Amino acid sequence: MNSGVIIKTAREIWVPTLMFGIGLLLSEILLAFVLPSVEKDFGGIISQFKLFQTLLKALLGTDIGDKVGPEALQAIAWVDPVVLALVWAHVIVVCTRMPSGEIDRGTADVLFGLPISRFNVYLSDTLVCLIAGAVVIALAWLGSVIGGLIAPTSFQTSASRVFIVLVNLYLLGAAVGGLAYLMSALSDRRGRAIGAVFAIVLASFLLNFLAQFWPPAENVSFLGILNYYRPINPLREGLWPVRDLLVLAGVAFVSWLAGAIILIRRDIATT
Amino acid sequence: MTTIELHNLTRRYGRRIGVQGVNLTVPQGLVYGFLGPNGAGKSTTIRVLMGFLRPTEGQAQMFGRDSWRDGPRVRADVGYLPGDLRLYPWLTGSEALRLVSRVRRRNLVGAGSELAARFNLDLNVRVRSMSRGMRQKLGLILALAHDPPLLILDEPTASLDPIMQEQLYEHLREAAARGRTVFFSSHTLSEVQRLCDRLAIVREGRIVADDTLENLRSRAKREVIIRWRDAAPVHNNPPQFLDVHERTDRQWSASLNGSVSALVQWLADKPIDDLTIGQPDLESLFRRYYQQPSPESPR
Repeated sequence: MNSGVIIKTAREIWVPTLMFGIGLLLSEILLAFVLPSVEKDFGGIISQFKLFQTLLKALLGTDIGDKVGPEALQAIAWVDPVVLALVWAHVIVVCTRMPSGEIDRGTADVLFGLPISRFNVYLSDTLVCLIAGAVVIALAWLGSVIGGLIAPTSFQTSASRVFIVLVNLYLLGAAVGGLAYLMSALSDRRGRAIGAVFAIVLASFLLNFLAQFWPPAENVSFLGILNYYRPINPLREGLWPVRDLLVLAGVAFVSWLAGAIILIRRDIATT
Repeated sequence: MTTIELHNLTRRYGRRIGVQGVNLTVPQGLVYGFLGPNGAGKSTTIRVLMGFLRPTEGQAQMFGRDSWRDGPRVRADVGYLPGDLRLYPWLTGSEALRLVSRVRRRNLVGAGSELAARFNLDLNVRVRSMSRGMRQKLGLILALAHDPPLLILDEPTASLDPIMQEQLYEHLREAAARGRTVFFSSHTLSEVQRLCDRLAIVREGRIVADDTLENLRSRAKREVIIRWRDAAPVHNNPPQFLDVHERTDRQWSASLNGSVSALVQWLADKPIDDLTIGQPDLESLFRRYYQQPSPESPR
């Protein structure tokens, strides 16, 4: 790894990381503050709005029925579409910069004209993005802690169970990040890479939703990455979802590696 | 010692040809001009050399190493300025120098500051606030700061003012005098004439000339004016090497396609009043190289 590339990458992504991190912090504060206070009424709301119930089932991966316990409420805080959108948007923004962003804006000529291998650039860039992802998730967790402290009633869930959810969320982001690196390596235009990853994420989201009431979608729901992020299970049972974590880590690594191989073999043409 | 060697280098972009069958050898310590009109293949050749593009056929080598396979190792000894330079907008000149120092694992801040003083560039300005000329200067400083054995500069004087162009020429001449090799592309003849020891002319992806400037000069036409003492019959039969394009009874204006000595020899027994022989007209020679329909060299 190269310290010059690490510093350059950190310099480029600290602002979006901070912005998305603060966005997640505020979202989690709000959710941790509001959700426990509506615990009693939540079951009624769910039974009134069937679409909301379906959406909730899709996001949680299980039907919580009318009885909403503290674990289910906290799980909602971790599968909230705003939270997922912020995590994914951050990942897409930082992981499509290299190489398509560099090629798109023409800086690839300077970067790849230096005596450093493409893989080294890719690896150094990835390291910083992995750290940035951890920072964003940590800020989200901090938000849930702050929200719990200032709320009249809190979730009262064990920290170790929340940690499992955070790891799961981090790997979900890593999987999207790996795909973003792959799309970026395949493209000369960052906009195209962003569009492709966004399409994959959206398709995964829709598949997850459709699978709740449409059997053909249910049959292929394993293809969607959201299928491997079910915070309610570790929050209820305290068990590590090893299979889900391995699948997400596998998607992240394989797509990242494919991106690396493509980058090493491809032409860099800024003009 | 050879710094650059291209063996039958071909690079295609789909159906379009970037360069085709290029053979080129650049010895150490020369200022080597790579001349050609826009789109001729200069930048493609440089991009293959820098390891950005994989050759479709043939091979590009620097210091005896393959540019594609040994890219990072080769680039350690190269200072490169891209044709269309884009730098990170958030960088200042000093930060850029520190960044490149880290990547190259050498402290280049001192050398870079000296170059900045020479090129009159304020290193505290951010790239986003720099003019095009300032960015070009910064790009040059980043390419030159580690005093590399080989400089590859793609149209380096673009957007530099004449004074800075002169500074750059001086720096490149000094570098060549220290044994550094300079390989630079240009489409400006005057620049090449002033700076180069040797040059190659590329047109439509092929090398159409590769020679020393002296040899090219000797091949170039000279404008000749002959004033006759009187109008004699011999005047109606100019030799083959003299292309008379304007004639009166007493004066001829002509282009000399052969050597000066042949002309002097032919005139030795002729009644001439005066003879003017101009400098070799490289511009018309290059124009012929640029415009001729086939890739063969003009005679």
